Amino acid sequence: MGEAAVPPRRRRPGRAGWPGTVTARRLLRRAGALPYWLAVAPMVARLPASLAYRVACRHGDWSFRYWAQKRSETVRNLRQVLGDGLSPEEAERLTKELFRFRSCDLIDVMRLRGRASSLGRLVEIRGREHLDTALAEGKGAILCSAHFGSYQSAFSLLHASGFPLTTIGRWWWNYAPGLSTAERRFWDLAYARRVLRHRQRPSIEPWPGRVQVAVQAAAALRANEVVTICSDAAPLGADRARSVEVPFLGQQARLLPGVVTLARLTGAPVLMVFVHRLADYRHQVLEISPPVPMDGETETAFGRCAAAMDTAIRTRPAHWFFWFETYDLSGLGLLPPPA
Amino acid sequence: MEAVINDYISRELVQDATLLPLGNATPLLETGILDSLSLLRLVMFIQEQFGIAVDDLDLVPEHFASVDTICAYLRSEAGGKAGQAGGHG
Repeated sequence: MGEAAVPPRRRRPGRAGWPGTVTARRLLRRAGALPYWLAVAPMVARLPASLAYRVACRHGDWSFRYWAQKRSETVRNLRQVLGDGLSPEEAERLTKELFRFRSCDLIDVMRLRGRASSLGRLVEIRGREHLDTALAEGKGAILCSAHFGSYQSAFSLLHASGFPLTTIGRWWWNYAPGLSTAERRFWDLAYARRVLRHRQRPSIEPWPGRVQVAVQAAAALRANEVVTICSDAAPLGADRARSVEVPFLGQQARLLPGVVTLARLTGAPVLMVFVHRLADYRHQVLEISPPVPMDGETETAFGRCAAAMDTAIRTRPAHWFFWFETYDLSGLGLLPPPA
Repeated sequence: MEAVINDYISRELVQDATLLPLGNATPLLETGILDSLSLLRLVMFIQEQFGIAVDDLDLVPEHFASVDTICAYLRSEAGGKAGQAGGHG
């Protein structure tokens, strides 16, 4: 059931051990996912917030305890990237927080029902004025973020609060080979449907060979809408040639500076946005920055976005979901390629 | 039209000089000349130069496979729009 807390992040074609190898353990986890996603979590999300998020934390703790393989992988990733300054105990504590946050993220998604007011009451939005000012220029706005905190729910909340918003991003299950149609339908129903209810347009899904992505994003910006991009994703396939090296988490990481190019071509300002959870687990703060300067070389301009992501992750490491994903960390150049 | 588009792609979008001079039949997608962002630049150029707005639904690889297919698509668009205007008259 550990895998059920939040959809695992996208997998890569040809990835060893996934998804061709269907182990008994994975089958059990998948079997556990169904009732949790379809029945338990929606019911828990309807409880009073303090109770709902307490239950989510317990579920996260349960996953932390019994999903030993993912737990040790995450601890190892944290220590390898953040260095020896992170003690084993601290890495263990952060990993436990990560499992809790993933579980709470699911409750956030479930609380997006209706007008999302049951989640909206728990999330303070700071910096709305920056987005208002940006949209007043009439060229739309690009919100740049990372796979950090409950970012999908946060984007949905922004839309529900009056900003017409569309996301550039791919649902992992649409691209994972070996996944059955029933499984894809399951994730569509359990996750995407809830999130996409609060979006202006269907998600713009980038993938090598999908050349229409930037034009679709530009169309949304021309309509003075908001487009979101998570710029911490590892470049795939042919996109690697267009990646740039920027300082990120103490190393030179390879990231795609598409946000800068899109901003320059459309004239839309780029604002950074991050959402983090407070110590009581149920309240969150969504912070929108003033526009990031886009002058200078592409690497320089994008380096400012990377620096903002870096700061957010270092300040609250347990909010970054890529610690779970060795493959993604390798793709970014933060870990050696898997053997 | 072919010369104008070929010239723009050659000047602005081709990163690999070994692909020059660019033939009108040269595959633009397989060679990596056109990607998502360079297609956006090309679409903006087409709109500015020829006054033709490319519809989202027309953003398919077949229309942007080469300079030849781009021009064929643009001619069909221009013809279609002219036909529609004539029909209303």
